[in-house]
Amino acid sequence: MAGMKSLKKKRRIQVIAVAAVALALSTAMIGYAMRDGINYFRAPTQVMDEPPAPSETFRIGGLVEEGTLIRGEGTTVRFSVTDGGASVPVTYTGVLPDLFEEGQGMVGTGRYVNGTFEASEILAKHDETYMPKEVVDALKEQGVFQHAPGEAPAAPNG
Amino acid sequence: MSLWEYANPARFMATTARAVPVLGGAAALCLLVGLVWGFFFTPEDYRQGSTVKIIYLHVPAALMAINAWLMMLVASLVWLIRRHHVSALAAKAAAPVGVTMTLIALFTGAVWGQPMWGTWWAWDPRLTSFLILFLFYLGYMALWAAIDDPDTAADLTGVLCLVGSVFAVLSRYAVNFWNQGLHQGASLSLDAEENVADVFYYPLLVAIAGFVLLFVALVLLRTRTEIRLRRLHALRLRERAA
Amino acid sequence: MIRLLLRDMALAVRAGGGFGLGLAFFLIVVVLVPFAVGPETAVLARIAPGVLWLGALLACLLSLDRIFALDWEDGSLDLLATAPLPLEGVVAAKAAAHWLTTGLPLTLAAPVLGVFLNLPAEGYGWLLLALAAGTPALSMIGAFGAALTVGLRRGGLLLSLLVLPLYVPTLIFGAEVSRRGAEGLALATPLAMLGGITAGTLALLPFAAAAALRVNLR
Repeated sequence: MAGMKSLKKKRRIQVIAVAAVALALSTAMIGYAMRDGINYFRAPTQVMDEPPAPSETFRIGGLVEEGTLIRGEGTTVRFSVTDGGASVPVTYTGVLPDLFEEGQGMVGTGRYVNGTFEASEILAKHDETYMPKEVVDALKEQGVFQHAPGEAPAAPNG
Repeated sequence: MSLWEYANPARFMATTARAVPVLGGAAALCLLVGLVWGFFFTPEDYRQGSTVKIIYLHVPAALMAINAWLMMLVASLVWLIRRHHVSALAAKAAAPVGVTMTLIALFTGAVWGQPMWGTWWAWDPRLTSFLILFLFYLGYMALWAAIDDPDTAADLTGVLCLVGSVFAVLSRYAVNFWNQGLHQGASLSLDAEENVADVFYYPLLVAIAGFVLLFVALVLLRTRTEIRLRRLHALRLRERAA
Repeated sequence: MIRLLLRDMALAVRAGGGFGLGLAFFLIVVVLVPFAVGPETAVLARIAPGVLWLGALLACLLSLDRIFALDWEDGSLDLLATAPLPLEGVVAAKAAAHWLTTGLPLTLAAPVLGVFLNLPAEGYGWLLLALAAGTPALSMIGAFGAALTVGLRRGGLLLSLLVLPLYVPTLIFGAEVSRRGAEGLALATPLAMLGGITAGTLALLPFAAAAALRVNLR
């Protein structure tokens, strides 16, 4: 019986050792993955640097560039999306969300064809600023109010 | 006197009998003040108009949805380590309240998202995480419901809650990786005044206090019910044996 | 431990063990997808990695309740609990047997089914690798779920409800690796996460599953 007991002890130690090795391996791999965080959006700069193939559907994120929003015939709109560096022209047919305006963040899904991003879906990105309308109007009159620079969807890889 | 004395069911019942009406009253008062103040006496947001007022329901509900799970985790740990029955029953009692909060957060989020983002539902990391949290709650409650023996049920759901918490954190990270989101950053943090103007912030705090009190009152009430059910069960068994 | 593994595999492969069922189910799910979304080649190629992952995951679910149920019914689980091998080892061996009879065949079948869905040529190797790295986690998580529900008469449906949310991270990273492989994108990060989750699951869940079994055997 003593033999059984020591065998059980031995097996228990073996199980714990294997588990510890697996845990260390897991920590190492997850640590590696976290270090190299990947972002799902492409910024206009990235799209300009490495233009994706026309067949590839991807998401672009950035600010709607001031003064570029043109509402065409019907529900077609054209505008440019920028991240401060590069700027990519976008076309879209459909209804835009309320929060969509110039100088605000947006996220579009679509393809990059002949130098234009043809969006199939446009979503507005809202920042976490909540302020009364009157206050903003007053600030604007004084020329103080500015949108926070962090409003654009973060560019990939920080 | 130690906190653990409340783990004695008789003592717990005596104390909570007095506490529940007080807590419930305070919750009703806070909710009334916070929501009425928020809905009728705050200005409109500079870009969102009156839709912003949904945050008085959305943010507190979302907070409580997560806190309810955390409370379940702590209560499960207390049960697994110290074997206090009240703790296990409190974990059981918190689940339906938590799942309701999750549903409120999801629903109000959809109502807000439709005009603001342009979609009822987006597979945004936060939204998706909440949906997954909802599934975790369902699984947890289903396991409680499926097992007859109360101690076995408490043990197994406790283990599930621990493992589930680890996977919930993993899922949160996975979902973040999978699709970067539309959802704004957290509306509240310790230095939240920077983001949320005071006019919106104070009623929101009152509404949150209301939700917290409501949650505590509901959990205590449900725990009392569970304890009574347990006593009733014991009585029946004794009767049958006699 | 090896003896137990072999015994479980033999039981699974024997007639009535449900060995072929999972594979057949996988085949049927994949065949049904084009009927549901249409035969357009480009669409199928795009969704192929995700569909193959989902199909493999669902096929894996089918046989989970058998991991402990039979041994529970005939009492051999009580014997195993008192054997020199710790219960954690029993759980790990049973999960391994489940993987060898379910996860591995599904992994090997996936590229064949990929042909039906016009999976791009560069995707096959990555799909195999992703499934090979991810399906052990599916078996282990499933063994945990099976340990929780082993004492219940109709545990099968509940088992799925408990296990599916736990499958989310593995599914996300596994499908991501396969998709990026098919599109020729960089995939080191999701692959590391997938492997990390599998290793972590194998390290920790045997203890949780053994704890659950002990409660059920009480």
